[in-house]
Amino acid sequence: MSPDILDEAIEIWFGPQHVSAHGWAAKLTLIGDYIVECDPHAGYFHRSAEKVLEFRNFRQGPLVMERLCMLESFLMEYPYVSAVEQIAGLEVPERARIMRTILMEASRIHSLQFWWGQFAAELGLFTMLLWPWVDREYFLDAFEELTGSRHAVSFNTPGGVKYDFTDKFLKKLDRALLRIEERLPKFKDMLLHGPTFRLRTKNVGLFSAEQGLRWGLSGPNIKACGVPMDLRKDKPDSNLAYDLADWEVPTVHNEEHPGQSDAYDRMVQRFLEVETSINIIRQLLPQIPEGPIIDPKARAKANRLPEGEAYGRVEGTRGITSLWLKTTEKAQTAYRAKIRGPCFASYYALKHLVPGSRFADFIVIFGSLDPYPGLWDR
Amino acid sequence: MGFFSTLGEIFTILKHVFSQVFERPFTVLYPYEDREHPERTRGRHIHIREKCTACAQCVRACPVVAIRIDKSDRKYEKDAALYFDYTRCIFCGLCVQACRFNALFHTKVVDLSEPERERLHYDPERIETLDRDPLEWRGSRFR
Ligand code: SF4
Ligand code: SF4
Repeated sequence: MSPDILDEAIEIWFGPQHVSAHGWAAKLTLIGDYIVECDPHAGYFHRSAEKVLEFRNFRQGPLVMERLCMLESFLMEYPYVSAVEQIAGLEVPERARIMRTILMEASRIHSLQFWWGQFAAELGLFTMLLWPWVDREYFLDAFEELTGSRHAVSFNTPGGVKYDFTDKFLKKLDRALLRIEERLPKFKDMLLHGPTFRLRTKNVGLFSAEQGLRWGLSGPNIKACGVPMDLRKDKPDSNLAYDLADWEVPTVHNEEHPGQSDAYDRMVQRFLEVETSINIIRQLLPQIPEGPIIDPKARAKANRLPEGEAYGRVEGTRGITSLWLKTTEKAQTAYRAKIRGPCFASYYALKHLVPGSRFADFIVIFGSLDPYPGLWDR
Repeated sequence: MGFFSTLGEIFTILKHVFSQVFERPFTVLYPYEDREHPERTRGRHIHIREKCTACAQCVRACPVVAIRIDKSDRKYEKDAALYFDYTRCIFCGLCVQACRFNALFHTKVVDLSEPERERLHYDPERIETLDRDPLEWRGSRFR
């Protein structure tokens, strides 16, 4: 690039006041309509959750975790709860194990529904913002019936779960599942088979599986490249019941560019994720046994933990979410907690992905990676 | 992509859009009507002083220090007065789970907004009484 071209370059800040940039900002260098440099900035959403965890006891800890990403609160609580269970040596009853798994999958569907709406709105399809969000209400109603709160559910606790399933809840969950099953073909017609959406997303934000793995991407972003990397299958957790269901890790194969994925593929991947989640929930619902929902000794055991270290992880909607917990002897609070959110990697992948694309495609690339500010700024 | 296939795709989309027109509205006219809140809704608390034993477990369980207890203020035999600070409370439900004497509950009242910040500091008098039923004062017109 000759220097006189760079003279014409302009720098603009995308965010933090932009409507799509809710809590993040990236500095873009443009020549004409093309982006030559992208510098994502993190830190606008920082709430020092790791420090807060050092001052909360082990029953209060999951509350902090679920506030990192309200869209998948059942999933976000789990790494902390799992780490505490490992250190305290708590056994989770079978009933609680299956209940957890069902709700984590329901949480995944509702999070993806939110993302469809958000992504479509970022592309300018306002109708598709409202439709998935209406269906999402059905899940939120079910969560409210179960726990009493729509987003900050506070459901998992070391040793089991806090609230038992009721008939009314099961009815509401079934209604939510029926609704999404009925509406999925409609969304597919609107998004995947519609020319507007396809023209905006095909061959935009293309990267290969090796690149994605090098940047540290996980979850649907890497599965869209055809890599079946999924913690639910690769590292089965004894406190979750994924082994009781029969399912396959969904992946997408791009015909034009084998081993790579563009924004369109990532959308297809997220449709497949929802179908898999519905499949898992449908298989697990009849398998819930009778029994206790929490280990009776859990309360006493989680009061004071022995010295130890544990690593809890879960396959979140956006990728691998994990937490490393260290405790000292007779600990009432964590000595140190380190959270790994999947979105830090996908946010900084923009740095490599965006240069060379048009300015209008920036938000498409950003949206297709589905980063959530709460997960990169802990 | 031919002209006719694109046209067909556009018609598919239009078909879905028109079918959506006949769906029932999903929103409610909020101040005049309300959605139904389930039994477990974690709204503002109610403190039943007859049963309270001043054990202060609720105060200890609260992650955000939203409850203050005054043990010298006695109405019954061994109860205590609770002060709730709803500018801090996150409605997590830990205090209700911690109370083993069934003296503290959530109610279905979830709209707590007040014109002044001070009015969100509930004194014992207010936390013991429920001044309105959340569903009664609004009609549910379209249900
Ligand atoms: S609901 Fe939670 S935050 Fe509110 S007073 Fe009770 S323990 Fe504290
Ligand atoms: S409300 Fe319950 S937990 Fe709180 S002081 Fe009274 S008896 Fe104890």
